[in-house]
Amino acid sequence: MTEAAAKTDVTAGETIVHLERITKRFGAVTAIDDLDMRIRAGEFITFLGPSGCGKSTTLRILGGFETPDEGRVVIDGEDVTARPPNRRDVNMVFQDYALFPHMSVARNIAFGLELKGRSKAEIARQTDALLDFLQLSGLKDRMPDQLSGGQRQRVALARALAPDPKLLLLDEPLGALDAKLRGQVQVELKQIQKRTGKTFFFVTHDQEEALTMSDRIVVMNNGRVEQDGTPEELYFHPQSRFVAEFIGETNLIEGIARGGDNGSLVIDWNGVDLHGTVQGPMPESGASVTAALRLESVVCHAAKPANGHALAGRVVSRIFKGSRTTLDIRIGEDDGAVVRAYMDAGEAEAIAQDQLWVSWDSSRLSVLRD
Amino acid sequence: MTRHTRILMSVIYWAFIVYLFVPLILMVMMGFKDSKFIGFPIRGWTLEWYSGIFQDAEVLSVFAYSMTIAIASTALSLAIGTWVACFLGPNRFRGKLIVFALTCLPAVIPGIISAISLRIYARALDIEPGMLAIILGHTVHNVPFVALVVMARLATLPPSHIEAARDLGADSIVAFFRVTLPYLIPALVGAGIFCMLLSFDDFVRSFFLGSYEPTLPVLIFAMLRSGMSPEINAISAVVLVLTAVLGLWAERSMRRLNRGS
Repeated sequence: MTEAAAKTDVTAGETIVHLERITKRFGAVTAIDDLDMRIRAGEFITFLGPSGCGKSTTLRILGGFETPDEGRVVIDGEDVTARPPNRRDVNMVFQDYALFPHMSVARNIAFGLELKGRSKAEIARQTDALLDFLQLSGLKDRMPDQLSGGQRQRVALARALAPDPKLLLLDEPLGALDAKLRGQVQVELKQIQKRTGKTFFFVTHDQEEALTMSDRIVVMNNGRVEQDGTPEELYFHPQSRFVAEFIGETNLIEGIARGGDNGSLVIDWNGVDLHGTVQGPMPESGASVTAALRLESVVCHAAKPANGHALAGRVVSRIFKGSRTTLDIRIGEDDGAVVRAYMDAGEAEAIAQDQLWVSWDSSRLSVLRD
Repeated sequence: MTRHTRILMSVIYWAFIVYLFVPLILMVMMGFKDSKFIGFPIRGWTLEWYSGIFQDAEVLSVFAYSMTIAIASTALSLAIGTWVACFLGPNRFRGKLIVFALTCLPAVIPGIISAISLRIYARALDIEPGMLAIILGHTVHNVPFVALVVMARLATLPPSHIEAARDLGADSIVAFFRVTLPYLIPALVGAGIFCMLLSFDDFVRSFFLGSYEPTLPVLIFAMLRSGMSPEINAISAVVLVLTAVLGLWAERSMRRLNRGS
């Protein structure tokens, strides 16, 4: 393990996988539409999207279980597009773990090493090291049906790590775990990825999983990449309506562009001028634009703040959720738009009246591409 | 259900059980009769008939002959049946239903018709009547049973298991022998024992395809024609016990194996 970690550390940041203009169709359905993507060595990259978005097909193309109709798969400089799964330095953790039911935990983990023709002594040494690394030592001789869900998941991970792959594929491996365990396993997985220095390619439809673990998230929709960036970029600066709505809860502010500069745009929102940030080309003046604003970015004031940069509003609903309270605030007159805000439950209680003022940092108001 | 109907139902059930088992009990009992003829009254008892068959070289050699045929035809049926199941199971192709129906046909053709046609076919192929012809005949008959049982098991194998094996470096052949085949073991054990019993029990095909050397059912038939002796009862009782034990053991081990996976 340590040798592997050292090796990948040296090359960290270099492209280990290049998906070159991949297209895959199933009959009339285009599962992946001209995907071009580089994966850097040592990163935890997550493909996120609803079912049918093409994320699993991408994973299966990397694993060698599907062949792209167009494009090439290059792993560590080698074109592996036509190679079967058994001739790729890629291993996979399956959604249902796919542990071999007739083999013990140790035999399952040793399977890949045996097929690589390693010596008995080396197989035993590596298997023990992995069992130890994933805290499975006591379960060595158990059969898969004698393990809990979390243990099975770790065995599946150990089995996939054993042949020392260049890329580890994870196909929604937390889906079968209960909610409480899932949170714990997310942290564990991230730690394991850091300690091994391996490149993890993770596929999920769960945005929380993606945000927790990834170095980089690729949001897919209808076979195309919606956005590719760090969890923070995606969360605070979604570029499309799809990303804004798919990740977390968000306010969508629809208005008219009124010009701007330096990535800052003035938006006419029902007669109120708002400042938003733009990534990419500036929308033309007069064009209708949509901007995303996270619920927790909205700040509520009981009284009009001293600098005067706040909008007057009226609380139309108040939902207590324990750690925080969700407020729906109608801005301006009776027909004004509604902004939703998260507030600390205690602070929300302090603002007893229905009239309040809301403001936000203009860098948090992110203008969407479409 | 009222109390009365429940009692009536259980009476009918037990009457059926008695009807089923009386002939068997009578058969076993007659084997202990100290007389050369089968039938009541029984005046004396003896173990002679039972001890006799274990010393009768002819009976023993015929038993060995039948066992050899059963084992060989079972091994062949398992190999071919598994191949057919793996071919028909996951693949989708035109005419799959027809191929499947053709595969099952030997199991439903009346024994006498299949026996006659096999005899003619064996002659056309220049296969002498005898052990090989019987083995092949039994195999033709048993393959559909193996294929059906294996296909049912195969349908429950998650495709991800094969993919995991491929992913970890196995080519399709290694994946078959290391993952698919172990998964099929419970089905193969069950189908195998069923084939053994079918083959061991078969009269018509063995009779038509055999030479002067008889299988056990054929021997019993020949003995019957020369008169009903309690020796026949003794042989039948031994066969009965053996097959019952084998069947029960198969059922038990299959359930245990099924639970294991």
